[in-house]
Amino acid sequence: MKTASGTNRVRLNWSFLSPLLLPFLALVTALLVGALVIWVTSGNLLTVFDAYVGLVRGALFKERGLSESFIAAVPYVFLSLAVAVGFKAGLFNIGVEGQFYIGAISAVWMGQLLPGLPAIIHLPLTLLAGAAGGAVWAAIPGYLKARTGAHEVITTIMLNYVSFRFTELMVSGPLKDPVSTAVQTAPVAHAAEVWLFYDIPARLQDPLNALAVALCAAFIGFVVARALRRRRERKARNAPMVLTVGRANTRRAPTVFGRHSSLSAALITGILTFIFLPLLTRLWWPFTDRYDRLHIGVLFAVAAAIGVWWLLWKTTIGFELRTVGANANAARYAGMNITRNIVLAMAISGGLAGIAGTIEVLGVSICRCLPLFFSSGYGFDSIAISLLANNNPFGILGVSFLFGAMRNGADLMELSSGVSKYIISLIQALILLFVSAPPIIRWLFRIRSERKLIDVSVTGGWGGKA
Amino acid sequence: MSQSASTAATTRLSSVRQLKGRWWVTALFSLFLAVAAWMLLNLIIGGQCQGECVVGTLAQTLRVATPIAFAAFCGVLCERSGVVDIGIEGKMLMAAMVAYAVNLFAFQALKGSMGEQAAGDLSRWLAVILGALSAVILAALHAVVSIEFKTNQIITGTVVNILALGLTGFLYRQFLAENLPAGPGTFPIFNVPVLSQIPVIGPIFFQQKPLTYMMLISALLIHYVLFYTPWGLRTRAVGEHPRAADTLGIGVYRIRYVNVLAGGLIAGLAGVWFTIEGVDVFNPMMTNGLGFIGLAAMIFGKWNPFGALIGALIFGLGTSVTSTVSIFRPDIPSQIPQMLPYLLTIIVLTGVVGRAVPPAADGEPYVK
Repeated sequence: MKTASGTNRVRLNWSFLSPLLLPFLALVTALLVGALVIWVTSGNLLTVFDAYVGLVRGALFKERGLSESFIAAVPYVFLSLAVAVGFKAGLFNIGVEGQFYIGAISAVWMGQLLPGLPAIIHLPLTLLAGAAGGAVWAAIPGYLKARTGAHEVITTIMLNYVSFRFTELMVSGPLKDPVSTAVQTAPVAHAAEVWLFYDIPARLQDPLNALAVALCAAFIGFVVARALRRRRERKARNAPMVLTVGRANTRRAPTVFGRHSSLSAALITGILTFIFLPLLTRLWWPFTDRYDRLHIGVLFAVAAAIGVWWLLWKTTIGFELRTVGANANAARYAGMNITRNIVLAMAISGGLAGIAGTIEVLGVSICRCLPLFFSSGYGFDSIAISLLANNNPFGILGVSFLFGAMRNGADLMELSSGVSKYIISLIQALILLFVSAPPIIRWLFRIRSERKLIDVSVTGGWGGKA
Repeated sequence: MSQSASTAATTRLSSVRQLKGRWWVTALFSLFLAVAAWMLLNLIIGGQCQGECVVGTLAQTLRVATPIAFAAFCGVLCERSGVVDIGIEGKMLMAAMVAYAVNLFAFQALKGSMGEQAAGDLSRWLAVILGALSAVILAALHAVVSIEFKTNQIITGTVVNILALGLTGFLYRQFLAENLPAGPGTFPIFNVPVLSQIPVIGPIFFQQKPLTYMMLISALLIHYVLFYTPWGLRTRAVGEHPRAADTLGIGVYRIRYVNVLAGGLIAGLAGVWFTIEGVDVFNPMMTNGLGFIGLAAMIFGKWNPFGALIGALIFGLGTSVTSTVSIFRPDIPSQIPQMLPYLLTIIVLTGVVGRAVPPAADGEPYVK
């Protein structure tokens, strides 16, 4: 992608904020245009006010509004991470919607396959099944792209339609619940469900579940301790020579537990969690509303964002993916396997999308099953989110919440102002437009900076130039 | 991966002749495919499709192929001038909705002042024109952003798709979902005076609705314009090597603008087909990926209008055969035949049926 490169003519003092300026202006402009559309279609300026107030109230202040916004944000996080991984590897994965469905159907299949398994095995297994389904589904266009040059934009969209039909076929055929009158699959096993926050105290009474949580806590403890230790080491290494006379001092910072500080931290966190968390949650637990559907998928989403960030920027795999995305020829010259990287990027992308579908089935779907009309419409929005966040995993967390809140608030908006809730998708499309074409925003707000807003390199033509 | 193939093609000037040579191969291949499809069809449904049924299926093929072919023509025009257009689907959806609305409300307004018959005709043609124009507006957006601002054309096209999805979804729910007046319906079948009486050819080609005829005519027209006029030569030059074309004094931007806008008009006709010729309803998922299938037909047709038409006919044949099958064999789940066109598209894109070489500057913004 050739772009007019230029220099920073405007130097902002608050330069750390400047990456946020254009997305913010894009958002504001989209909301303004949305207001204009509402005004024109309703013929009443007050309706605009009603609509936006209703939107904010629905998203944040109505009963359980905030929880619902978080719930809506979870699939957005996963799907936009999926899109972002694709973008980073130079691939435009528009097929996240289809991978979402395939993930959901694989998860349902796995979720009812082995009843009687404890949650510590069944839930991870089901998540893995969903991820694997999405990954395989996405790897197909990846392989076709790498091998034959079939452009992933069209193949993934075609696979979207195939996956919709395939899901219908499965739900109305082999996986149909023989008991239920509605066309839907049988519900997944209780152990395979994604836990609700409301349920956690009850779930933790089972020692195996407590063990699972303790393992997670231990892992977090390990990662945090290791990161802190690395940081201390780096500081010690960069310290002035005077202070670092001995060899030991330069290599290793003194720690409480010596070499195995991270492992010890993990052990301690894990044991403490295992013993005290079940007790603590019994004594005091903030989520007492039994209609609150907030589930631990929210935590998974945060973990996924951190994981993707780590994968892309801290590992060799991520480095190769980004190199292939930035310049495939240079990557090939450096000895990287293009085919493998493209397939891998698509598989990771599809895996994330599959997990999104899995969580929707295991944690959000009311019957804990896959109904015939499992419409989501998350797919296209997530492209907007990913571009708006400039493919930054942590930016994606924030923007996803914004989009989730808009999606959640739209219902109350429709109720209180009579404006169709589909105005939201129009506003989101406008955001995408303004983000993808920064010159419009620059022209509107007279910003002279030539900084590129989005940093994606997707092949523009039909294969061949991968 | 075919780095060498694409660069070699730009230097190989004789590639045009080669393409023309393969042209008839494609046509024969398609004929073979049609016969094979017919035999397979009879195998599945137990030999119940003879005579009338075959003619009906073929007529339906042409009918169903119309929007795909229009979409493919849009792709041909845009990409021959070097602009990739992923946004055909969005333009179609927009045109479909606008045409539907215009058809209803124009009929409502005109009904009093003239007869039902005349009002219906007038409002339908008005719908065709305004629907196509609404697609041109989206095409203009695509053109400005991708030609002037030089953004990635694939992303711009996706923006057009999502924008159209949002806009049509909103307007449909706000205005077109309920309390609708009775409309004049779709175009009636127009029998071409003498030709429609020919035994087999007549019912297939000459007992169709107006947009289908327009599709066939525009295939001829686009072929003529692209390969026999100075404008077409310039368009192809701009698509292959814009720098060289610019040096010769050809306005690269102007050529690209006009082609993208003309493509938008044609994509608009594809969209209009859904609500003015296909069925008399609109729903926001109506186009069902046919715009993308059109792009696959274009690639199958090697960026030639007639090739694209053949590609579209193959997809149309697939659709009409599967619908015939589902009439005779209701026990086969309808989802399986419904998947086929999409799978076929993927197979076409992988180049199993002959590798295609896109215009060399396809998808690359031109920086003066």
